[in-house]
Amino acid sequence: MTLKKQLYSPEEMTAAISMIAAAIRRDFDTDGSVPYALVGLYNQGVPLAERICDEIERATGRRPEHGRLDISMYRDDVGLRSGLPLIRETVIPFNIDGHKIILVDDVLSSGRTIRAALDAITDYGRPNMIRLAVLVDRGDPEYPIRADYVGFKLDLDPAHKVAVQFDEDGDEAGIFEVNWQQKPLNR
Amino acid sequence: MEWTRKDLLSLYDLSAEEITFLLDTAEEFKKVSERNVKKVPALRGKTVVNLFVEPSTRTRVSFELAEQRLSADIVNMQASSSSLLKGETLLDTVRNIESLQVDLIVMRHSAPGAQAFIAKHLKCGVVNAGDGAHSHPTQALLDIFTMREKKGALKDLKVTIVGDILHSRVARSNMWGLLKLGAKVTLAGPSTLVPREFEAAGVRVCHNLKDAVQDADVVNLLRIQHERQSAGFFPSTGEYAKFFGLNRQNLRWMKPDVLVMHPGPINRDVELTSEVADGPNSVILEQVTNGLAVRMAVLFLVAGCVKK
Repeated sequence: MTLKKQLYSPEEMTAAISMIAAAIRRDFDTDGSVPYALVGLYNQGVPLAERICDEIERATGRRPEHGRLDISMYRDDVGLRSGLPLIRETVIPFNIDGHKIILVDDVLSSGRTIRAALDAITDYGRPNMIRLAVLVDRGDPEYPIRADYVGFKLDLDPAHKVAVQFDEDGDEAGIFEVNWQQKPLNR
Repeated sequence: MEWTRKDLLSLYDLSAEEITFLLDTAEEFKKVSERNVKKVPALRGKTVVNLFVEPSTRTRVSFELAEQRLSADIVNMQASSSSLLKGETLLDTVRNIESLQVDLIVMRHSAPGAQAFIAKHLKCGVVNAGDGAHSHPTQALLDIFTMREKKGALKDLKVTIVGDILHSRVARSNMWGLLKLGAKVTLAGPSTLVPREFEAAGVRVCHNLKDAVQDADVVNLLRIQHERQSAGFFPSTGEYAKFFGLNRQNLRWMKPDVLVMHPGPINRDVELTSEVADGPNSVILEQVTNGLAVRMAVLFLVAGCVKK
């Protein structure tokens, strides 16, 4: 049995994305002379990066450069999973060298995905700087990794999962707490 | 779907969905070799043994490079220097290898089914790099990958395989893989080397080159081994070349955009002339490039399913 509880509505989620976009714009887009780019991590970091780009474009009239990154080849848990999902297409349509990169993911939890993403992105070039934007920070990192732009800070039961959903997947949009290990009680 | 197999033994065992999954994964690995940094840490800390009980150069080199680009540690073993020559059984050899905490064994062996046999007894993963005339799954995957890359969908693609089908694991693996993906397969060559029995698998058998190739989208040529001539399967390589070799003249029978493929090593002026081998229809060297990507994908996926 899976229990799912909405933590934030689509409106609250949109407001948080606007806030992150405004902060990125303030730090990176002041005079337009600094090359910067957003890189979304699969799965949900990809649509999130698109949303942030939408917001920045709405405010400035320019869409920032952006890409998508799959970290499957950089994970540290080979042999610990039951099966392997399909690797998605990494698309970095700009030269990483000298760029300021903002990695975008939906949820910061253990920090292991971000560790892998740092290895992956630096195999494509030598960025001038890397920052991290997340919609949800669970505040329980296993690695010393912190986000620079955060939508929501949450303190949840470690056994529960946070699911960020966008309506473009045909899902109900919002941020949800999922108790996926919940077992029916034996009476 | 998710990939869940710790061994790759034969394409006959796989579903169309699994074959497509392998090809899709290989596409991402192909891009790794096109980057400045041609290496990923996917198999860091994993050990792969390349056990070539039957000699091989190009397949072994391709596997070795694939393993290196995945950051695996490698040991190469050849029959000529292994204890198999001292009378040790194959199973004892591979159990000894596994006891060294090896994660994957890539094996070539002259006995059909040798890899399936050892896989049954081992916890580590096993990849078939060729077993007798039975199966050579990574060669077929790289051939099919190349066809898909050049021609798009494999459904209803007309593929003709020409040569020594009888003794060829490449032909058998290609046939099973292509049939699963919905391609139309023709096997062609002298009647001594292309028995009618293959028709039972759902392929067309053809003993005339013109009939076999004139509407083909892909012509895959197999190497003719000279020792087959002394065994009496055909009178001479010259006669084989006259009836089944590709040259500038018979290329005119074919579709202008036909793909000419060959698993190598090529015998110039036997299976094909230099004009064809080095001409615009040939994708022989691209097959070699794609072989690396396909083997990286296979190693990555099976290693991910070997339990600690």
